[in-house]
Amino acid sequence: MAAAGDWWAEACDKFRSARTLSAVESRKDPESEPYRSKYSARALLQEVKQQLSAAEEGGEARLLAVRRAVLEYELGVNHTDTEELSAGEEHLQRCTQLLQPHRLSPDCVSLYIQAQNNLGILWSERDEIKTAQTYLESAEALYNQYMKEDGNPPLDPSEHFMSEEEKLTDQERSKRFEKAYTHTLYYLAQIYQHLEMTEKAAQYCHTTLKRQLEYCGYYPVEWALNAATLSQYYLSKQCFMESRHCLAAASVIFSQAGQVPSAEDNENEQDQQDLRQRKAEIARCWIKYCLNLLQSARKLLEDDIGEMDSFRQMQLKAQRKKQEDENENDRKKAVLFGTSDICDSVLAMEEKVSSVYPLDFQEAREIFLVGQNYVQEAKEFFQVDGYVTDHIEIVQDHSALFKVLAFFEEDYERRCKMHKRRIDMLEPICADLNPQYYLLISRQLQFELAETYYEMMDLKVSIGNRLEGLDSHTIKKVNSLAQLAIKYYELFLDSLRDPDKVFPAELDEDVLRPAMVAKFHIARLYSKLITSDSKKQLENMQTSLEYYTFLIDYCEKHPDAVRVVETELELSKEMVGLLPTRMERLRAKLGPFV
Amino acid sequence: YPFSVEGDAIKVYVRVRPPSEGTALTDGDQGLCLSVLSSNTIRLHSKPEPKIFTFDYVANMDTTQESVFSTVAKNIVESCMNGYNGTIFAYGQTGSGKTFTMMGPSDSDNFTHSLRGVIPRSFEYLFFLIEREKEKAGSGKSFLCKCSFIEIYNEQIFDLLDSASAGLFLREHIKKGVFVDGAVEQVLSSAAEAYQVLTMGWRNRRVASTSMNRESSRSHAVFTITVESMEKNNEVVNIRSSLLNLVDLAGSERQKDTHTEGLRLKEAGNINRSLSCLGQVITALVDVGNGKQRHICYRDSKLTFLLRDSLGGNAKTCIIANVHPGSRCFGETLSTLNFAQRAKLIKNKAVVNEDTQGNVN
Repeated sequence: MAAAGDWWAEACDKFRSARTLSAVESRKDPESEPYRSKYSARALLQEVKQQLSAAEEGGEARLLAVRRAVLEYELGVNHTDTEELSAGEEHLQRCTQLLQPHRLSPDCVSLYIQAQNNLGILWSERDEIKTAQTYLESAEALYNQYMKEDGNPPLDPSEHFMSEEEKLTDQERSKRFEKAYTHTLYYLAQIYQHLEMTEKAAQYCHTTLKRQLEYCGYYPVEWALNAATLSQYYLSKQCFMESRHCLAAASVIFSQAGQVPSAEDNENEQDQQDLRQRKAEIARCWIKYCLNLLQSARKLLEDDIGEMDSFRQMQLKAQRKKQEDENENDRKKAVLFGTSDICDSVLAMEEKVSSVYPLDFQEAREIFLVGQNYVQEAKEFFQVDGYVTDHIEIVQDHSALFKVLAFFEEDYERRCKMHKRRIDMLEPICADLNPQYYLLISRQLQFELAETYYEMMDLKVSIGNRLEGLDSHTIKKVNSLAQLAIKYYELFLDSLRDPDKVFPAELDEDVLRPAMVAKFHIARLYSKLITSDSKKQLENMQTSLEYYTFLIDYCEKHPDAVRVVETELELSKEMVGLLPTRMERLRAKLGPFV
Repeated sequence: YPFSVEGDAIKVYVRVRPPSEGTALTDGDQGLCLSVLSSNTIRLHSKPEPKIFTFDYVANMDTTQESVFSTVAKNIVESCMNGYNGTIFAYGQTGSGKTFTMMGPSDSDNFTHSLRGVIPRSFEYLFFLIEREKEKAGSGKSFLCKCSFIEIYNEQIFDLLDSASAGLFLREHIKKGVFVDGAVEQVLSSAAEAYQVLTMGWRNRRVASTSMNRESSRSHAVFTITVESMEKNNEVVNIRSSLLNLVDLAGSERQKDTHTEGLRLKEAGNINRSLSCLGQVITALVDVGNGKQRHICYRDSKLTFLLRDSLGGNAKTCIIANVHPGSRCFGETLSTLNFAQRAKLIKNKAVVNEDTQGNVN
């Protein structure tokens, strides 16, 4: 009997050494012999396997089968690690066959799931993603069945080669079991992404994050960034509640990371710098959240000329009262992150900003202000000196926040002031930016400035018309806004010219629409310029006519362009029909001297 | 300001190196996995169907260094003199002839070697053009050339002109674009000097690879020349500046680790708590989002950030894809050709935000 005990202790020893070799020693292997430790581990495992067969008689069949399955599993992983896939597959298959009858019992379920996980990885390496999927999905199903029927913390595979006194606590067992299952879900997330089942992939990413949190298997910064990124997926699907939850959780978990020991040496300073950048990144995700919520609300509320549709507004308000939170609560349970402590902080964070569409200025303003705060936070790190692109992107978002807020503003004067704020933030950057390196952003800024001036001019005209007509001050203002709009449209169009200053005969697809719109708007702007000088007016009309004609000629030469500017083209044709008659009339009025 | 010519796609050149001595040619064409059909098509003997690739230029095994230079680089150096930024990339698996193409025979530091590569020839040509320009313009025009040489390894930036430094950072300047903060800039006055700086830095790279157990094929090296010209015209000073980047990319066989092309599942480390690829999966999900406003927390590698202008920006860019014709390299060659094919599609993307509502009335 003593001899039997001896060999068992020795087997356990070898098993333990094999695991250490595989997991710890192998990382120190030289590049010329990358698998040295793994091969030694394999040799040890094979010895244990032989000892096990020798001891077969007299032993209990089930116990032996399970122990053998553990060895097959370890050998399978060992072989796949050393790029011997077929051998690895054989071992893993043998493992699952041995366990098949016992797979639902507490001493086998964890091992069975891990074997399935590894078969999933193995088949994915063979590019057979569907086969991998079946293994992983069956692991998932087994976990669910076990938790339903038994649910007690099951044995960890390594315990089969441990003495009684070494065995794990229930808490540790449960932790390891849940971790194996988390891996199943994590692999499935990848599978679904490969299969382009986006929604499902997102759901599995979400669950993986959730479980990492529950079982404390995460790095706060990494987790927070993942959650913040996931929020951006939900944004693109217009799921604002889920998006906000991810962001709130990201912010809460991130604050845990802030509590690292204070900076002392250089390396730590670098860490602090990284941390500040990550914080700013999360702030930027919040900005996009606020922006999207406002923009989507605007889409719902606007009429066909882009103004507030007040009937629609009333309708939506009534609707909201009726279904307040009804189904949201059910949906919420499915996505909630964290255990009670964290959960409370997350909910508190969520309360700071709404996740339902704002329906009037007051509601819109609250979301705007949250967004604006995050703009400040993000700018603290992404300063223009050093982070030009990021900084400008944030300023552009800030401008976009003002723009969408202006939609909700009823007072035209105040609306105009909001646009002026946009100009004030964009204009200096646009002037400083070197288009040799920042061509794309430079064009975006030029175009946006042009549009903003254009919008302001329209607002000033409306304001003037509501009063007793345009006074000379307003006229001056309108003209100067129009001139500035023209200036920026022209700058944009100039950016399309080649080094010899020639405008391209054929526009690239990505600038086609903006270039045509710029031409069209310049045409309109010239016809809107107000002057008492008839000669000047005639000149303006002539210029306007030229720009309209450009549009028509271009579309004639490039019929593909028509679908991009249909409305503009139609209006241009109309104007080209009208303008010459008007000009003729004006000329007649001016008499023979012109 | 000089703007990029519309529709200026990245030019892609493929160069086939001769098989290493003593291997292939003995068993005739059997040992080769490709044949060059014309000066811009190549056939890969894949099964069951051979595959035809078309590029801007395909250089056969017997193409001279001089001819590679004049088809690939000459034009870019000229544009550089005209104020454009220019970038030349070399791409391909280790042993496919990247270094030979770019530098020349590896055992010679000789700047006048008849087999010298694209880089020394670009230096010569650049300084030739500068001299010519100076003569034409007289005293009214002056030039300042500076260079820097950095290595990107493991997402860290090292200065090859200052082997003592470590861990430099990329920053952006509103006038100067992207730059490596703190990188040594050396003033150059001749092609020979440029070559000297280059070889010195290159040696640093090799030294580093042994002392820190870095493998040179895993690092990217970027040699940048800044050309500044100053012209005085009746008290009006006109300053123009452009960059010429010469990039030696890490061996393409190493890219496999980072590219998510295959269907492999990324394993969760047993010891590491991190499920390291979850972030990648999520990022990919967000990328699908169509035109919606979103922010993605981690993207851009150091290399793509540094060369942002060269990849779909305001610059003249070309890629020299080097391939080894041996059938044993079939897989790598195929992936290099596929990469090169994709690179051709990269174009200057200047998307302009436009508010489509409420403007037409």
